[in-house]
Amino acid sequence: DKKRVLAMPSVRKKAREMGIDITQVEGTGPHGRITLDDLNNFGKAPK
Amino acid sequence: MVVGDFATEVDVLVVGGGPGGYVAAIRAAQLGKKVTLVDKGELGGVCLNRGCIPSKALIHASDEVYKMKNSSHMGIEVDGVKIDFTQMIQWKDEIVKKLTSGVASLMKGNKIEVIQGEVYFTGPDTVKVATESNSTTYKFNDCIIATGSRPTELKFMPFDGKKIISSTEALSLKEVPESLIVVGGGYIGLELGTAYAKLGTKVTVLEGADSILPGVDPSMSRMVQRKLKKLGVDVNAKAMVKSADKSGDTVKVTAEIKGEEKTFEADKVLVAVGRTPNTDELGLDQAGIELDERGFIPVDKQMRTKVEHIYAIGDVAGNPMLAHKASYEGKIAAEVIAGEPSEVDYQAMPFVIFTDPELAYTGLTEKEAKEQGYNPVVSRFSFAANGRALSLDAADGFCQVVADKETQQILGVQIVGPEASSLISEAVFAIEMGAVAEDLSLTIHAHPTLPEAIMEAAEGVMGNAIHMVNK
Repeated sequence: DKKRVLAMPSVRKKAREMGIDITQVEGTGPHGRITLDDLNNFGKAPK
Repeated sequence: MVVGDFATEVDVLVVGGGPGGYVAAIRAAQLGKKVTLVDKGELGGVCLNRGCIPSKALIHASDEVYKMKNSSHMGIEVDGVKIDFTQMIQWKDEIVKKLTSGVASLMKGNKIEVIQGEVYFTGPDTVKVATESNSTTYKFNDCIIATGSRPTELKFMPFDGKKIISSTEALSLKEVPESLIVVGGGYIGLELGTAYAKLGTKVTVLEGADSILPGVDPSMSRMVQRKLKKLGVDVNAKAMVKSADKSGDTVKVTAEIKGEEKTFEADKVLVAVGRTPNTDELGLDQAGIELDERGFIPVDKQMRTKVEHIYAIGDVAGNPMLAHKASYEGKIAAEVIAGEPSEVDYQAMPFVIFTDPELAYTGLTEKEAKEQGYNPVVSRFSFAANGRALSLDAADGFCQVVADKETQQILGVQIVGPEASSLISEAVFAIEMGAVAEDLSLTIHAHPTLPEAIMEAAEGVMGNAIHMVNK
């Protein structure tokens, strides 16, 4: 299926600017939304 | 280059001043680019001059006439409504003028050079611009093609501007026609057909498909069909138009309906069977750009054509042919030229049709949602249960929300009814934000207003709508 990425338009834009493929990011926001924090943490080793 | 044939160097060349072109020009200028915009006609393009704006003005005026004549149940008796059509057209023209001069001042304010002329590509980075007085060669770094579209002509009944007309002429008639045949039951034909019917024209619609507004949910288009009938419009589906005879004072159109030939007669015929992209006569092959089989310019997500520094946006770049889609793409092309990583990325495109009642939809229908792997739940709230709709004497219609059963995510919204065109924005925003039905439900909607119908439909998804019995 082609289900959607859950993220606000501004977050999707930020992902592009950061060069992140948003489909690879796991969302931790409400209902699994991808947040700005999720983008910032993407690729970083878990603390 | 031939000696004496100097090329004027420009940074960003925008071809076309419609809602795609002028928006692209402004965004590029905002991002520090030096922009030159060429249009062969008036700024604002089809939308402002021969499309969205003039048609909405005429639709509104005709609706006012209709209401005056049909409000006796509210205790409003109007004796002899008189239509000064010349004044109506003039009023519409003034709106257009106001908006186009607004675009002109935006161009000036953003220091965009505007040239009136026709563009012809002579190479991958050169164009010839023919103005009234001369022909100049320009060499550009980047180019945005936004030449739009024009009404599609039927070969066997070409436009003559008098008896066989396109939407352009239909928006600037000298008088209200006594009778009008509309070939094409799509949104343009029905919007204009409805307007003239309200002004007193005997309107006949000939649509080739099984029903009017092909592509629109039948439960929605049925409500439009019902109103057309009330307005005395003769709607004929499955009608294949064969020929037109304009030898007499009127036009006789012959169509095949269910195997039978039938002839219709009227003062004028409005052909509204679609729009053709303006990609011919531009010399695009000289630039190395090939068209697809329907004449559109293929582009990628960044609106780039096959030639890296040439972009195409709006109607020339393919369907849907919508002004807001063109403007959106214009911003993307400009941003990409300025080095930003922009690309086409939206969850929901709004579609609005200014028929009576209005139609608007966005996102997925129930069927599309299933095709995309969702398990959709559909909730419909009728305007007949909305206080504001009743007080507006416009209770025909409904708001319908399609949501994912498991997550309650809003996937699509379909609205038929009063102000559907404005109401849809909340739905588009909800989908863009990834809202769930509960988000709409927990948002306080002012009472009494039409958007309450969206809130109730969303609550229906969860089975806890207040003003209807939940399924």
